[in-house]
Amino acid sequence: MPPLMGIEFLCRVADVLTGYLGGLNEDLIKDNFIIVYELLDEMMDNGFPLTTVPNILREMIAPPNIVSKVLSVVTGKSSNVSNILPDATASPVPWRKSDLKSSSNEVYVDLIEELDAILSREGVLVKCEVYGEVHVNSHLPGLPDLTLSFANPSILNDVRFHPCVRFRPWEGEQILSFVPPDGEFKLASYRVKKLKNIPIYVKPQLSSSSGHCRVSVLVGIRNDPGKVIENITVQFQLPSCVESVDVSSNHGTVNVLADKTCFWSIGRIPKDKSPNLSGNLILEPGLDRLHVFPVFRVGFKIVGVALSGLQINKLEIKNLPARLYKGFRATTKAGEYEVRS
Amino acid sequence: MAGIHLHVVAPLVLAAIRKCARDPSSYVRKCAVNALSKLLDLLPEENNDIEELVNIFMSDHSLGVVGASAVAFKTVCLKNLSLISKHFRRFCESLPDIEEWGQITLIEILLRYVIARHGLVRESIMFTSNATESFHSKWGSTGLFHTFDNHNSYIENVPHDFKGNSLMSKNYIEGWEECLLQHGFTNGNVGEDQYHLNYVAPASIENDDVRILLQCTLPLLWSQNSAVVLAAVGVHWIMAPNEKVQRIVKPILFLLRSFPDSKYVVLCNIQVFAKVLPSLFAPHYEDFFVHSSEIYQIRALKLEILSAIVTDASSQFILDEFQDYIKDPDRRFVADTVAAIGICAQRLPSVVDVCLEGLLGLASQESSTSNAFQKDGEACILVQAIMSIKSIIKHSPARHEKVIARLARNLDVIKEPAARALIIWIVGEYCSIGLIMPNIIPNVLKFLAWSFSSEILETKHQILNTAIKVVLSARNEDMLMFEKILNYILQLAKYDIDYDIRDRARMAEKLLSPCNAEDISRKMQNGGTAGEILENIFRGIKHPSRLPDHDFRFYLPGSLSHVVLHAAPGYDPLPKPCSLHDNLPNGIADEDATSGSFDSGSSIDDSGSYNDSDPSVTSSVESDGNELASDSHVSNNPSSSSITNIDEDRKENSHCHPSESSFVYDQSVAENLTTSISSDLADLMSRTALESWLDENSGLPSATKPSESSSIRISVNDLSFTVSPKLHTLLDPANGNGLKVEYSFLAEASKHSPFLVCIELLLSNCSNELLTAITVEDEEPNKSAASSMQVLEKPESLSTTDEGSTIIPIEEITRLEPGQTIKRTLQVQFQHHLLPLKVAVFCNGRRYVVKLWPDIGYFIRPISMNGNSFVEKESELKGMFECTKRCSFEGHIEDLKHEEQKQSSLGTDKILVVSRSLASKVLSHANVFLVSIDMPVSFSDDDASGLRLRFSSEISRSSKPCLISIVAEGKCSEPLNISVKINCEETVFGLNLLNRFVAFLH
Repeated sequence: MPPLMGIEFLCRVADVLTGYLGGLNEDLIKDNFIIVYELLDEMMDNGFPLTTVPNILREMIAPPNIVSKVLSVVTGKSSNVSNILPDATASPVPWRKSDLKSSSNEVYVDLIEELDAILSREGVLVKCEVYGEVHVNSHLPGLPDLTLSFANPSILNDVRFHPCVRFRPWEGEQILSFVPPDGEFKLASYRVKKLKNIPIYVKPQLSSSSGHCRVSVLVGIRNDPGKVIENITVQFQLPSCVESVDVSSNHGTVNVLADKTCFWSIGRIPKDKSPNLSGNLILEPGLDRLHVFPVFRVGFKIVGVALSGLQINKLEIKNLPARLYKGFRATTKAGEYEVRS
Repeated sequence: MAGIHLHVVAPLVLAAIRKCARDPSSYVRKCAVNALSKLLDLLPEENNDIEELVNIFMSDHSLGVVGASAVAFKTVCLKNLSLISKHFRRFCESLPDIEEWGQITLIEILLRYVIARHGLVRESIMFTSNATESFHSKWGSTGLFHTFDNHNSYIENVPHDFKGNSLMSKNYIEGWEECLLQHGFTNGNVGEDQYHLNYVAPASIENDDVRILLQCTLPLLWSQNSAVVLAAVGVHWIMAPNEKVQRIVKPILFLLRSFPDSKYVVLCNIQVFAKVLPSLFAPHYEDFFVHSSEIYQIRALKLEILSAIVTDASSQFILDEFQDYIKDPDRRFVADTVAAIGICAQRLPSVVDVCLEGLLGLASQESSTSNAFQKDGEACILVQAIMSIKSIIKHSPARHEKVIARLARNLDVIKEPAARALIIWIVGEYCSIGLIMPNIIPNVLKFLAWSFSSEILETKHQILNTAIKVVLSARNEDMLMFEKILNYILQLAKYDIDYDIRDRARMAEKLLSPCNAEDISRKMQNGGTAGEILENIFRGIKHPSRLPDHDFRFYLPGSLSHVVLHAAPGYDPLPKPCSLHDNLPNGIADEDATSGSFDSGSSIDDSGSYNDSDPSVTSSVESDGNELASDSHVSNNPSSSSITNIDEDRKENSHCHPSESSFVYDQSVAENLTTSISSDLADLMSRTALESWLDENSGLPSATKPSESSSIRISVNDLSFTVSPKLHTLLDPANGNGLKVEYSFLAEASKHSPFLVCIELLLSNCSNELLTAITVEDEEPNKSAASSMQVLEKPESLSTTDEGSTIIPIEEITRLEPGQTIKRTLQVQFQHHLLPLKVAVFCNGRRYVVKLWPDIGYFIRPISMNGNSFVEKESELKGMFECTKRCSFEGHIEDLKHEEQKQSSLGTDKILVVSRSLASKVLSHANVFLVSIDMPVSFSDDDASGLRLRFSSEISRSSKPCLISIVAEGKCSEPLNISVKINCEETVFGLNLLNRFVAFLH
């Protein structure tokens, strides 16, 4: 068996469990042991993955909720495996029931982007790219046929699709044509490389002499994306040769964790001043100057903007029912956003 | 149901599956297919039926079933690729639509099928055409072949690229053991290419099947499942024409962004691709820049890839990036970066100066930090930096003499002993090159001599060597001073505390002593022996260092073996190209391949062993090896003979390094040895091998045999044994009024019940009178023999153990003449395997109560199995089911003496005698089946260590297997130490049996 298959499967298991339990940790698994067991039983057979599509699993095994818990306590029946085989197993489109009825006719498309960037020690932008995912949350009856087109598909560097996407239209006209599964799913993921703009700058300065090291980090907005940048954090790992730390900032809070990770959470950048972290590091005795330098990892979130510039042109729906609500959203987060010092 | 893993229900399940195969619901059919592969474990004998079912399922049209049947096909009958041919087109077309897990398996199967059917594609990367060739030579790098073989590059520059790729494809196909062998003769043999081409008749891209496969896997490159993408990439890598391989680059790079956990696996694959075809990834160097959150292993891989794909255009960026890495807190990673810089500089001549400058700066900077602050990490960076410098200047020392000078100047700053030793080596090596070096050498040498006594061992060695090198290469005017310094160092060294230094110093002094100051050089020109030796030792031509051999191993992309770089269990190389034809019976090609590889292995073993012996033996053994190989596979003959050619060539090249000359295939021999131990080479070799081995042994005087003992084992199953069952006395003639009754246990099983043991009674009349009416019965005369139930109820029975004992009585012997002996077979059921049974013997109307002692060795019955299944069973009965005991064995000594008396000592082999006597001892005391005798192949005649006998049996009562193995240790002529091991599910029984074995062996 290829190793990647194992890894991929484990990731899927983790995804499904997170979807069922709303998180993944030891306690949750202990509490919902039966469900976990049932899920694994369905997902794996004789060492080979069986059913891993989340919404089919959902039909087979009901997700935990209070009603089912109460029911199981009262009746003493602990199984929540449904007795009927999901229709999808027999339907021509394996990820969708053939006769789905849905009360709300709505479909949402989310663009979630992560910005990866590396700034070298000289402050040069070495690498900047966006990894994005198109999430679709659909509650549509029947067998709808959706077509999603982008305004500027040419900027996409790499793409990866959910199995429901048809390949021919993409090859020909760069549009996504698909019959969506019910509920939320990841339609596609893409990458846009060689971007030039980064939303915020981080300027670290470390100067050391005779056993001391002055640290000062400046954070500010470089290219205003037009929306508010939230949840800005800066964290860095202090070199092991640093003995003690004394840092403070004029905005936000600074925590130095036990493993010498310095965590500075800024939140939003205020209008009147630019946030500044400064402090003093005391090096180990015998070491005169700092010869290793930490890497600053930056985190942020911008709601309402896709930094890659990707724009959704339109979403067409065939076989469509009467009323329909369509919604679009975009978010950008920081991925591997690193500033070297 | 199939998941229950019960043997009892397996046939039922098979029937159920057969029924389900025609079920209208595709989901039911899918589940039925899934059950098939589980059944295979349970019902290996029903293989054909299952295969047939798989075939039925494969013709199913439902998408879900197709995926599942691909999985079943893979587990059930991967070799039987011809089944695919009917469905191939349909499979390809449905490939994009089936579920993703099935896709992975189906892709693999289809790839195997296409290769087996049509061979490799001519335009593919495996048959690299001139396009890439010229590409490599354009930027004149040592790009590819430095990963393969430096030696080659001097001989022929043209086909190296091709060779690398064909080597890789060969690896994919044949698995690495065989390939290592072939690589052995690739070295000297250019004809290898033709050889390769001959047996791979490549298909062209125009072939429909190939085209369809490629077309249908193309959309999978966009799949969300990373494993699917990688499988599709593998297909394109192997099959796609050269210009289209480009298509795999982006998807596989994008995989890096999928899950952090899969990064390592993906990078491993990229690494191999990038090494073979750097141009593919060269424009995408940005993707391999290191993030701070990544773990060390991933970073190291990325560095390796970066240094492999660097080009003139990207060198600037990559080197800048490397400079950033040098300040990283992870010092191990920094050391790797330094090494990577060295590799970059070797690959791109244009950046050598920049790199050297940087490295020198780093070295001096690091030396200051590491002095102030002793840390392992810093030291290893420094050493690595100097190593990189060394490898860079190796290519053109004359150009870089300034660098050497600067390094030498750093000597008083750098304190790290390993780094110092390296610098001193560099100085010594290049002491006579250029203009600057001869000028600074005297000072450097003085400095070294002065600091000699305070140095670490490693550095002292280098100082000593350097001093001698300098003297050897010095010009006349400086000679006197150098001599003095050398003498000074030698004096110091001779009284060093370390014995190694003292020895070296003495040796050097002895070698130098005949040469006076002036005439060393003259002597050398005259070719005096001492001088020549000196020259060879200290100035010998440096052989290009060989890269670790895992660079030569390639596994199928995406496989686990690829990641761990050795053949993981279950790894299966691609089938032989074109091995599948419609009229060809399946599997023959495969068998050929395996037997070929094994035999070539053995021939190498033989020819490899002469290496240490003298040349006269060589030819005979080697011809032996060829004989072995000749009947198996045509292609193996060139392999063994060409290896000898290489060997001779190399011996001429370097007199002074005999061990090095054989290095290449020494390695391969070593590999082969290990494989031959693990695999059942022993079984394959069997009779013929044994004969040849024996001939060899007797034919050669023992003095010329190589002294090292290798670990090949030979197993024999068909020695002749003298089985003499042991007689026990039941009734003494003294007690029995002249009736003597003896009994022995019979090997045959009772016809009536498995609980009965057959005993042969020998009744003889030792008296002078006639004996009449002799019977043997159970001790309780009034009970009927057959009704054991009654016995159980008897309260007055004497011992609890014989309650259940029953005897099927012998028919009465009416007359027994004096001196007459009659044989009778008695069938007895012992209730317990240790406690005796009381038996009454009636004779002349009198009743003698005697005890019949059971022999546990006959409570088992032999089952025949081969060595493999024995080992398999044994591994199932580990832990508490296993018991071992040791004892000594002397029975063979007598046999040995016998043999010696009978024949001259040369005729037979002692080990054979020993094993025979051991086996017959066991066989005459227990009812077992001799599975195999593994004999050690050791070259001392007397050494029986490693002799292993395996017996198999099952307990007659419960039919549970009971495995016995005996391992001997020690010399043939002395009592052997023997350890007996019994694997048996009934532990009590096993222990008792063990005791019995030890008792009779002792």
